[in-house]
Amino acid sequence: MFAGSATGLQKTTSHKVVLPFYVFAAISFLLGCVLLLLNTGIVHQHYFQPQTLAITHLMALGWGTMIILGANHQLLPVLIEGKLDSDLLACLSFVFAAIGIPMLVTGFYLFNTGLLLQCGAVLVNLSVACYFINVFTSIIESKRYDVHAWFIATAALWLFATVFFGLLLVFNFSRPLLPDNSVEYLSLHAHMGIAGWFLLLIIGVGSRLIPMFLISKYTSTTMLWWIYALINAGLAGFILLKTLKVFSQYYYTPFLLVLIALIIFGNYCYKAFKVRIRKQLDEQMKISLLSVALLVLPLACLLLVIYFISGEEKSNIVLLYGFCIFFGWITAIILGMTFKTLPFIVWNKVYSARAGGKTPAPKELFSERLFKLMALLYLSGFVLFAAGIAILGNMLLKSGAVCLLASAMLYVWNVFKTLFHEPVK
Amino acid sequence: MEIVTNDHIKCNQALVGLYDVYDPEIGLNVVDLGLIYGINFNEERKEIEAVMTLTTQFCPMGESITNDVKQSVGTAFKDYKVNITLTFEPSWSPDFLTPEGEAFLNG
Repeated sequence: MFAGSATGLQKTTSHKVVLPFYVFAAISFLLGCVLLLLNTGIVHQHYFQPQTLAITHLMALGWGTMIILGANHQLLPVLIEGKLDSDLLACLSFVFAAIGIPMLVTGFYLFNTGLLLQCGAVLVNLSVACYFINVFTSIIESKRYDVHAWFIATAALWLFATVFFGLLLVFNFSRPLLPDNSVEYLSLHAHMGIAGWFLLLIIGVGSRLIPMFLISKYTSTTMLWWIYALINAGLAGFILLKTLKVFSQYYYTPFLLVLIALIIFGNYCYKAFKVRIRKQLDEQMKISLLSVALLVLPLACLLLVIYFISGEEKSNIVLLYGFCIFFGWITAIILGMTFKTLPFIVWNKVYSARAGGKTPAPKELFSERLFKLMALLYLSGFVLFAAGIAILGNMLLKSGAVCLLASAMLYVWNVFKTLFHEPVK
Repeated sequence: MEIVTNDHIKCNQALVGLYDVYDPEIGLNVVDLGLIYGINFNEERKEIEAVMTLTTQFCPMGESITNDVKQSVGTAFKDYKVNITLTFEPSWSPDFLTPEGEAFLNG
């Protein structure tokens, strides 16, 4: 009787658009951990081989990108204070990716460089194009061009550049489109995705959400603009050096620029944390903040690769670098943020129209006990597997992969528990 | 933030119920969170206008919170029609928390 829209109430993105991304991502994470367990032997080989490419793309696209796309369709209105321009484009983005990613990953796993891989890459490009257009039109419609909007728009641009370059690399397998072999461009393709897409987007969104969840008054637009400029300059510099085929010792410049950006972001998070009003941190925030600290590991690996290590050991450290990014930093932040966003989306779906009466808190939609166990297994698995790569220890690799798989199973269980929540009468 | 009203006695009656309306994410009631800016009574038209905000303009919990506020005020004043007006001028800031709200979040 009392329900009805208030004057000035803005509609948020429909749960129907967002939830499929979460489901796809959860299954991809589980599958990624299964493949990791079945293929622990890949750490003894060069990083450019079918299983490594398949697992990397499953984790980067199926897990990291899909959940970020889903969450971003929900969070974009909060960040730009304007509504998502098109639900249709968001749905198309999901459909293209949901067909394209399995084709791409299977194509890599079987190393079928023909039609399967090519169709997969084309579909992933179509998916990203839909997302890219949606982000840009939403920002233009909202007429808010603050630093967060710039982070999100530029990250979308880098994502598009990454997948388009990936498409060229896929076609380059069968007919020469580029001057060199596809392997030569791998680091370029990877870093456009890692720094341009993941890093920019996570910092852009995190710099708004971390103070919001902590209820912290801290904000520094100047700091964020510096971070934005440094990461983009670092990435552009790296692309230039790589294109000009400059001696790899000069890579310290882009590395340093990104390092400074990360130090500033670490300082930003610390300051927001220090002046927070909400003193008690939930487990989800703890693991999300831990992911910021986990960024130190891939940076250390990168430093080793640039300066100190060459030959066969280099391939090993490159693998460790990739593992620390996809199974470390990105996975940690997703594990935490999933249960900061998904329960609210489901809660809204189930209870938003119900005024008054007893409703559970959103955090009661998933099991906190299972979350803690998942976090513990994840951290153990990550440490064991990373140590296994570093010293090539098979037992460490197997036990690490088992722990990661167990944590993925608990994650999927909790995601589905939340999704199938029945309303309390 | 002080709540603007044209009838302090009735406003206090309305607030009693609003202390039971919570922001689901923060777990704090809307009064101590500082979301209620004003409650005005139009005796001639038997209408109540509750002016409030949300912690962010596109808050995913917005519909739920405003529905709960409407129901709570409506229950306290059954003969009145309740209208909710959302405003983001000024936009919410942690400065709007009451001392009780701050104490809750500090605990």
